[in-house]
Amino acid sequence: MNAPSDKNEKTSRSKIGGWTRQPHRDKSAGRIFVTRLLRTTAFRYTGVFLLVFAVSVGMLATLFYQATFSVVDRQTDEIIDQDISVLTEVFVSDGPGTLRRLIRERAAWRDDGIYMMIGAPSGALLAGNLTALPLEALRAGEGFFNFTYERTKVDAARREVGEETRQARGKLRRFKVSPYANTSFLVFVARDISSREALRQRSQEQLTRIGGITIMLGLIIGLVFSRSLLMRVDVLNRTARAIRDGDLSKRITLRGSGDELDHLSENLNAMLDQIERLMSGMREVSDNIAHDLRSPLTRIRTRLNNALQASPAEKDEALRATLEDAERMVTTFNSLLSIARIESGEGIGAMEMVNLAAIAEEMVELYEPAAQDAGYALILDVLSAPNVRGSRALISQALANMLDNALKYAVGGSRIAICVGVTKTGCAKLGVADDGPGIPPPDREDVLKRFIRLERSRTTTGSGLGLSLVSAIARAHHASLHLGDGLAAPQGLEIETSADVSPGDASKDVASPGSARRGLKIQLIFETANG
Amino acid sequence: MRLLLIEDDVEAAAQLAKFLRNAGHVVDHVMDGGDGVSMAAAGGYDVYVIDRMLPTMGGTEILTRRRDDGDETPALFLSALGEVGDRLTGFKAGADDYLVKPYSYEELLARLEVLGKRRGTPSNVTTRYAVGGLEIDVLTRTARRDGRKIDLQPREFRLLEYLMRHGGQVVTRTMLLENVWEYHFDPQTNVIDVHISRLRAKIDKGFEKKLLKTIRGAGYKITDAG
Repeated sequence: MNAPSDKNEKTSRSKIGGWTRQPHRDKSAGRIFVTRLLRTTAFRYTGVFLLVFAVSVGMLATLFYQATFSVVDRQTDEIIDQDISVLTEVFVSDGPGTLRRLIRERAAWRDDGIYMMIGAPSGALLAGNLTALPLEALRAGEGFFNFTYERTKVDAARREVGEETRQARGKLRRFKVSPYANTSFLVFVARDISSREALRQRSQEQLTRIGGITIMLGLIIGLVFSRSLLMRVDVLNRTARAIRDGDLSKRITLRGSGDELDHLSENLNAMLDQIERLMSGMREVSDNIAHDLRSPLTRIRTRLNNALQASPAEKDEALRATLEDAERMVTTFNSLLSIARIESGEGIGAMEMVNLAAIAEEMVELYEPAAQDAGYALILDVLSAPNVRGSRALISQALANMLDNALKYAVGGSRIAICVGVTKTGCAKLGVADDGPGIPPPDREDVLKRFIRLERSRTTTGSGLGLSLVSAIARAHHASLHLGDGLAAPQGLEIETSADVSPGDASKDVASPGSARRGLKIQLIFETANG
Repeated sequence: MRLLLIEDDVEAAAQLAKFLRNAGHVVDHVMDGGDGVSMAAAGGYDVYVIDRMLPTMGGTEILTRRRDDGDETPALFLSALGEVGDRLTGFKAGADDYLVKPYSYEELLARLEVLGKRRGTPSNVTTRYAVGGLEIDVLTRTARRDGRKIDLQPREFRLLEYLMRHGGQVVTRTMLLENVWEYHFDPQTNVIDVHISRLRAKIDKGFEKKLLKTIRGAGYKITDAG
């Protein structure tokens, strides 16, 4: 990891893995990236793990090293002590002559053994394979000491190939012939420990290298992990920034690995979808508000303008018409506001378990007189009484709007039925069917889309937002809105609603030849039914 | 009635105050929540009309403060927020009624008169109401006119009971829908009118004096006057 020595170097092609390979990035950007990398959670974790790992490996290696080499050291010392005691025995029993012969013999063995016998005080070398007593011997006294010496180097074929410095360990012992004698003998016994020392050094080097490699590897892995994590988080950040800058269509690209970051991204994307939908919903609502309120406002202005020069009776008429317009505008405005608030999830209120049949019964009670007055028989057709999780107020309102719709458009019909039941697939359903002209099957999809997207033909009076509100309420309850054939033609006596309608076939065209009047059934199908 | 109107929209407040004064009420108008609290603390009002969204101190806070001080004066919230949850927080703050903007003055007036009257007859529970020759007994759930029993459906009885309880006062369609049916939305169909005409057929048919009157542009009223 050589830092670039040249300060003028523009690109920081640092040798740390190559994260900053892009040549356009200048040095500071690269440094910021590295700083961010080192700050990542992944890298910090790696660092901590690495530290713990290094410490434990270090301790293990030290223990292993000491255990191994202290045994070897002790063995060497024991051999030397044994040698000395053998030599002492020989000296005591057989005298210096025999000792000298024995040492000469042993010195000739050419093994790891080093022997010296020196006469004192003359200092004459009597026997041995070392030319001079090492200096360390004078300081060590009676104890063990390490020293170096020169030895002729011998190759595999026992040929002499120069000299080499070797290490050895030994002990000096003074033998006296008698306590009163002036002369004594110095006996020096040592063992060559060069090979052992070489091993020790190699072990040390090896352990250090292993430790270094481990830490390097850990660092690299940590950096690689951190980098990949950082890059993925950067993707999230980039997306977030783009969205903040106004590009709501931006989404996080998934890697398809199914890991936790992918799950997070998926959820964030879903959230963004919802936000975008809400935003566009709001936009549509405001567009609609603009459209729905501008035309009556224009009308009012024209009317009032004309009324300024009109007769009192005409003025009264203009005021009345204006009042009506204003009231219609208020209704439209309220509907739009309700839709927007329900769509945004704000105006839903508390969700609780509500019984659809109970809601339907209450609504029948409210609407029956009005339906009768308008010439319809209001029928409550409860096949089962499913419970759904929802808002009683909103579901009631949806049902009321469906009934309003039937009363307004089932012209020429005679029956309106509120149907409550459960589909074959076990979904709760709540619908209103009539035997009016209905909507031809090919047009149903369009009509439905119009409710859902809040667009509509403005041929009818009234806000015309009733079914859009139903659609919004359906969405708030995770229910779907379906259009289907309503009650059979007026001449038919059977009520068709006893047939189960599943979400799939609700909108299916059931051809009923010979009868142009197929009626209309608007139905909410909930996700579940408990009850 | 003495009314305290706390509303920051000067023009809207001035018009509303003018309308309420024309209807025979005394109106004090303040624009700020803090002023509202101190005016209310001075006392003497029959009903508070409070805009929920005020710049410095919100309507809910004003009312919470008054209720904390033990002030039981009926209060009506005016609010642009009209969903179930909004109403609920309004009622939790101690409101007695809730009207969503934009509203009609007649609707507000009818509600204020009901609230003011409620204060006049506090805790003693009335179980019998009589208007003209029409009597109802809330306990036995029976209705009579000139001593003759009238057969009513349960809901018709509740409708009549609500009208009788506010005899002589204007009751709007929305009030009926809220109090008799407990719905907080406006059906596009004239459902209430039909219920009223059925009820009218039962209580007024065959009698010379019609008690259940339609007030144009506002609602209904049960009264034996006029």
